[in-house]
Amino acid sequence: MSTEKVKREPLFSTKYRKLLTIPIGKNNPITVQVLGVCSALAVTVKLEPAFVMALSVVVVLTIANVLISLLRNGIPPRIRIIVQLVVIAALVILVDQVLKAFAYDVSKQLSVFVGLIITNCIIMGRLEAFAMANKPWDSFLDGLGNAAGYGVILIIVAFFRELLGSGTIWGIQVIPQGFYDFGYKDNGLMILPPMALIVVGVIIWVQRSRNKELIEEN
Amino acid sequence: MFSNRYIFIYSSVMVIIVAAILSAAASFLKPYQERNIREEKVRNILASADIPSTKADAEDLFQMHIVKEIVVDLKGDVLSVYENGKLQQGEVRAFEINLRKEQKIKEAYLLNESQKAPGFPLYVCEKEGKTYYIIPLRGKGLWGPLYGNIAFDDDMNTIFGANFSHDKETPGLGSEIATSEFADQFEGKTIFDSDMNFVSVKVVKGGVANSNINISHGVDAISGGTITSNGVTDMIEDCLGNYVEYIKKQK
Amino acid sequence: MQDLVNIFVKSIFIDNMIFAYFLGMCSYLAVSKTVKTSAGLGIAVIFVLAITVPVDYLINKYLLSAGALTWISPQFADVDLTFLSFIMFIAIIASMVQLVEMVIEKFSSSLYNSLGIFLPLIAVNCAILGGSLFMQEREYESLAQATSFGLGSGVGWLLAIVGIAAIREKIRYSNVPAPLRGLGITFIITGLMGIAFMMFMGIKL
Repeated sequence: MSTEKVKREPLFSTKYRKLLTIPIGKNNPITVQVLGVCSALAVTVKLEPAFVMALSVVVVLTIANVLISLLRNGIPPRIRIIVQLVVIAALVILVDQVLKAFAYDVSKQLSVFVGLIITNCIIMGRLEAFAMANKPWDSFLDGLGNAAGYGVILIIVAFFRELLGSGTIWGIQVIPQGFYDFGYKDNGLMILPPMALIVVGVIIWVQRSRNKELIEEN
Repeated sequence: MFSNRYIFIYSSVMVIIVAAILSAAASFLKPYQERNIREEKVRNILASADIPSTKADAEDLFQMHIVKEIVVDLKGDVLSVYENGKLQQGEVRAFEINLRKEQKIKEAYLLNESQKAPGFPLYVCEKEGKTYYIIPLRGKGLWGPLYGNIAFDDDMNTIFGANFSHDKETPGLGSEIATSEFADQFEGKTIFDSDMNFVSVKVVKGGVANSNINISHGVDAISGGTITSNGVTDMIEDCLGNYVEYIKKQK
Repeated sequence: MQDLVNIFVKSIFIDNMIFAYFLGMCSYLAVSKTVKTSAGLGIAVIFVLAITVPVDYLINKYLLSAGALTWISPQFADVDLTFLSFIMFIAIIASMVQLVEMVIEKFSSSLYNSLGIFLPLIAVNCAILGGSLFMQEREYESLAQATSFGLGSGVGWLLAIVGIAAIREKIRYSNVPAPLRGLGITFIITGLMGIAFMMFMGIKL
């Protein structure tokens, strides 16, 4: 580990804080870099699986980033993609096994989507673009930041879909019974897969209206 | 920079390390995973006979209430009996039977492709001095498999209780079959008509009251969950049908 | 035979990779700017899915699933290697993509020129790994069923990406609110297309 380097520069210097915070907002992996959308949306019907999914990605991405960063000088360039895939796949299998052992109900809801973390482009992207060229501590923060940026979007989407679609948050009823007596109905459409896309579309809209420099040409 | 030899050794070492870690993790976690699956099965069986359980006491309650496990075949003969903690007859314990496998064996058997006869599990439950018969169900919903258990009174005709679960039906629509509101409708329904013909219990779209189905052989479907509801109807008819001969023999 | 057609139709329309499971969204969003390139990518996806799903089916059946190794010796009846499936599937996919690329390059340079650039992209396309994982989870019963599922999923993916590309070509001339341009509107249109595809759900197969 590069402890000397860390000692010379404070652990949370501006540079390090930026590594962590930029991917959460301005350079968010989902809404700006368009990476990792695949596995993101199918698990956002309820908050709980979305949270577990986000947590799994945080664990996998952070550990993979640090591991690859530690190994970066020894990995032969010709087989680096395979090495990265093996590291990711091994971590994902571990996460999957742990979920099956200790969070059985959630792992059933996530079904194959845990496995699809392997092909989550955020992870491959960060390993290739960042961890291969940076020190472990930088990579740790970068991994954490990107995974958190991914998780934030997941949780926002899941929050709205669960609130509007089932009237609950984390399984607890929040819309009072009185509303239903007046004829309020849960919006069944929110639960269906396509609405996840539309909610993300709206999040992008809001983010880009506030931050004009992200607007695309067409 | 790196020779072929280095690449070869590097990848071999990597593969060995990864394989070792994964196998260790898998064998370490396996007992926990199996316990989860077992626990879920036990709790679902108990729930159909209206015995509430928690993760901690499920196994004990199961041993206390489920006094006998029987395996029957399509002709109504008993293949095995498990009682007092050991097999009294036959080779397999009903609890160990994989319903999905038996359904496949049944398909092949009915098409005369194989001579192997399927066996279906039946649990005998004692609660507060009364005897109930519990039959496990398995079928197909919209997105994946459906599961269930139905408990009968000792006439093996009147339903005492039922519970259903699913892997991934549409939340809020099809997934409502897992609620007690849906399952409670089954209480008191009968699966045979007055002439002892098997009629099953149907899940009726638009409500039983508006259909020509006898009120004692139908329940109301979930609105918006048509395919899941049909899946439940098919599952009940298909699975209970396997026991008709056995039940008739008991009369 | 009928079950094969059922699976094929079902995986195109009802269990569409994009609209029902959002698989392969990354390349779907990145490559769908013109119809021509997206059709190329779509065909490559069909190609790879139709090869990897059956191969992974065999791997799953004869190596990974519980009791699969009995063909070597009955002693292995208790061996369950399912926990290795992710790593095996991704390895098979990566090597298959490589193999397909080499074969195409050798035998048809025109096909290679049109498909070649897409093949490396595909190794990390979630739709491909997703295809294998769904094949495993849904427990298809024969090689033919698995192949039919792989083909159907690929065709469904092609349908989706060509559809969105055509719409995006048109929408370039429309007055979309500035913050929605590009990514935002693509997400929303995909959502609407997904809703349209949901009507296929009632089809009983």
